[in-house]
Amino acid sequence: MSVATPTSPAPRAWLALLRRHETILLLVLVAEWLFFYWAGTSTNRRGVVVGFGTLDRQFDILRHTCEIGLLALALTPVILTAGIDLSVGSLLGLCAIVFGGLWRDVGLSIPLAMALTLTCGAAAGGLNAVLITALRLPPLIVTLGTFSLFRGLAEAITRGAVTYTDFPTGFLALGQERALGLPTQAWVFAFAAVAVWLLVHRTTLGRSFRAIGFSPEGARYAGLPVNRRLAFVYILAGFIAAVAAVIYTARLGQAKADAGLGYELFAITAVVLGGTSIFGGAGSVHGTLLGVAAIAVLKNGLASLPIVIRLNAAEELSGVLTGALLLVALTASVIPRIVSRLRPRPAPPVSVP
Amino acid sequence: MAPPLLELRQLAKSFGGARALRGVDFDLQAGEVHALLGENGAGKSTLIKIVTGAHQPDRGTIRVAGELVDHLTPATAHARGIACIYQQPALFPDLTVMENIALRLEAGAPFARVDWKGRRSRAVELLRRIGAEISPDAEVRSLSMPEQQLVEIACALGAGARIVIMDEPTASLTQKEQHLLFAVVRELRRSGVGVIYISHRLEEIFALADRVTVLRDGETVGTNPIAAINEAALIRMMVGREMTQIYPPSEAAPTEVALELRSLGCAEAGVTDVSFQVRAGEVFGLAGLVGAGRTELARILFGLTPADAGEIRLHGQVIHPRSAVEAVAAGIAYVPEDRRRHGVVLELPIAHNMTLAVQRRLFPRGWLRTEAEQSLALEFIRDLAIKCTGPDAPAGSLSGGNQQKVSLARWLATKPRLLILDEPTQGVDVGAKGEIHRIIRRLARSGLPVLLISSDLPEILGMSDRIGVMRAGRLVGVLPGGSDAHAVMAAALGQEQGAA
Ligand SMILES: Nc1ncnc2c1ncn2[C@@H]1O[C@H](COP(=O)(O)OP(=O)(O)OP(=O)(O)O)[C@@H](O)[C@H]1O
Ligand SMILES: [Mg+2]
Repeated sequence: MSVATPTSPAPRAWLALLRRHETILLLVLVAEWLFFYWAGTSTNRRGVVVGFGTLDRQFDILRHTCEIGLLALALTPVILTAGIDLSVGSLLGLCAIVFGGLWRDVGLSIPLAMALTLTCGAAAGGLNAVLITALRLPPLIVTLGTFSLFRGLAEAITRGAVTYTDFPTGFLALGQERALGLPTQAWVFAFAAVAVWLLVHRTTLGRSFRAIGFSPEGARYAGLPVNRRLAFVYILAGFIAAVAAVIYTARLGQAKADAGLGYELFAITAVVLGGTSIFGGAGSVHGTLLGVAAIAVLKNGLASLPIVIRLNAAEELSGVLTGALLLVALTASVIPRIVSRLRPRPAPPVSVP
Repeated sequence: MAPPLLELRQLAKSFGGARALRGVDFDLQAGEVHALLGENGAGKSTLIKIVTGAHQPDRGTIRVAGELVDHLTPATAHARGIACIYQQPALFPDLTVMENIALRLEAGAPFARVDWKGRRSRAVELLRRIGAEISPDAEVRSLSMPEQQLVEIACALGAGARIVIMDEPTASLTQKEQHLLFAVVRELRRSGVGVIYISHRLEEIFALADRVTVLRDGETVGTNPIAAINEAALIRMMVGREMTQIYPPSEAAPTEVALELRSLGCAEAGVTDVSFQVRAGEVFGLAGLVGAGRTELARILFGLTPADAGEIRLHGQVIHPRSAVEAVAAGIAYVPEDRRRHGVVLELPIAHNMTLAVQRRLFPRGWLRTEAEQSLALEFIRDLAIKCTGPDAPAGSLSGGNQQKVSLARWLATKPRLLILDEPTQGVDVGAKGEIHRIIRRLARSGLPVLLISSDLPEILGMSDRIGVMRAGRLVGVLPGGSDAHAVMAAALGQEQGAA
């Protein structure tokens, strides 16, 4: 075997770790948090001014993040295959309505309504899958279509007016209470995160997603069932979107047709921020989780800044800053390459006459 | 005496930990063909990429026509008359030959009027100069690979190239097309152009080159006039030890029929009525010109373009693979022709590439097992002498020949019931080529039927027990293993000869 010997392994490995996207993102996250810890304030329920660093505040962030976090988890395998699913936010809305309708209008029990909602989510993902694999349409176009379709269906079902409320308290606990010291839905999110992480990083399925993302033709020539794998990621995305819909309904105590409006963009941002290549193949689930955290802290932290509270501009600012964060992260990931190109070359030795 | 066209001194280049070049000296005179030779991973392509400005050297000097060049970029290399003909021509498939030539050569202000007459006359003139019979109005898509290479050469000439580099231009050309290319190279030499010619086929180098430089492990071993050296000495310089280039003898004992095709056809692939039998343990060679339908036949067997007529029997069982997945399930392995697009996933590590087709067997429950994967990869890295920094290096960081070995390893790992090899030794150096031939023999001896497609005629003649010759999508003859090159070529070209 002829394995070349690396010239200087130790400092390189160290540098490589520092240059890793995840490391940079973790540093950004810590910096963000420390900044808001220092600058942010907020009032608790009793009107007392408390800092950003309280445990309650962290739990609050967690609660507000689970749904977008779930969608980001759903999108990671999709984007790894070089696909995209713009319909997950709309599907969240549709599934929330389906769930509310099955419970109140049809009169099903909560567990049965949940089970049917999850099935419905998977089926909607299956629709994306069929259009993409059988008809060979580009995922961007297909899911742009279902993005409108799902939201439109949700509005048609409710005629834009119905809001499902008055869910039983036992169900609301899923979105508003704590279990084993954490917000209940955080457990669902944690379970999903572990499952998707294992799927992507530890199974042959995850390996196939990457192969397909890097080179669909190469994957086909390797005998991988490309269409079946693609169908799987879109169905999984639909299923997870339905889970997010149930949690969303439990957190707000209501299901409306505009549930999850615009969530897909935050989720895609989180995935890309987390270092998953929009061109497919490269990326990680832990990166996605860091991306979700960075966005969540930013959104919530902004709302805690006194100046932002006074101007009442939290929503607008968080949109602007999320976009800026994405650009910064993307730039940071190419800086090492630019630097190495700028580095002056060592002077050439005197040439032999 | 005029200074050499190109002079490289003590050129060095590392990629991360891998030292591709350690100190290379090289010079090219006007009007000579200078061959560059070396094992896979010796640094030939890296050297070329530095000369064309794609990579910057860590150390060393480059002189072009005696002038010291400090910082070569693709644009300045082009301006100094350096052109490279790649194995996969980088032309626009949907444009015509004339338009492609124009795109390369015209500086073009954004809204300038197109001078169609000038374009056409220049294209015609350039194509005439290299003796290519290609219509300037042909869409590039409709041209064969060698014709596209000729268009590239025309572009290089049109740009006034003084230094033309060819990195394994013949790896997938058949002999007839090679002769055409050689004629063009000789024409270039006559007109005072310097040609750097890289190939692993020694007979080409002896036929074409004036001088030869051998690289080993990123260093120049030596430069010799071709007249002053023989094949054995060249191989010794390359691999650092004694080695002969002979094919391992066949030991096929005719046994039962393992693969049988009965009037197999597929309109989409342009293959009609192909019938033959391959016995277990037999190497069945498929010869023919480029476009004769050999790769198309392989794609039918592998389910990529399913057959629409006839029947495939594998070990007595009728199979009808409608996708690669089904073909793999039936035990068919196919090492494809185009390694960069189909043979390996360039971005994935070597180890992942090697286990992609055996996931089911290696990881029966779907969980990846790193130790099993690593040990499989290390075994093939050792057996095929793959030059790499380790099993986790991306396949794209390997030299061309080493990528080919990874592609081969992937399918050898599947323990197939039928092995189809499409140009299995393209771009592979002499040492590894011998190793691959020995592996093919060993597999055949264990009872595996092997279908061998190769445009390297000596390889087909030396390795095959029987040779099927294809022309225009049909099988036009089956010749016995010991046949001579003329008989095979005559059949491939459709000349009734010998039989009369
Ligand atoms: N981009 C890269 N990143 C890392 N290593 C590289 C890269 N390009 C080349 N190398 C390494 O440099 C060495 C020389 O490669 P090069 O492609 O020049 O070989 P070659 O002589 O052209 O071989 P072949 O005959 O197989 O084409 C190899 O060990 C290869 O792995
Ligand atoms: Mg090379």
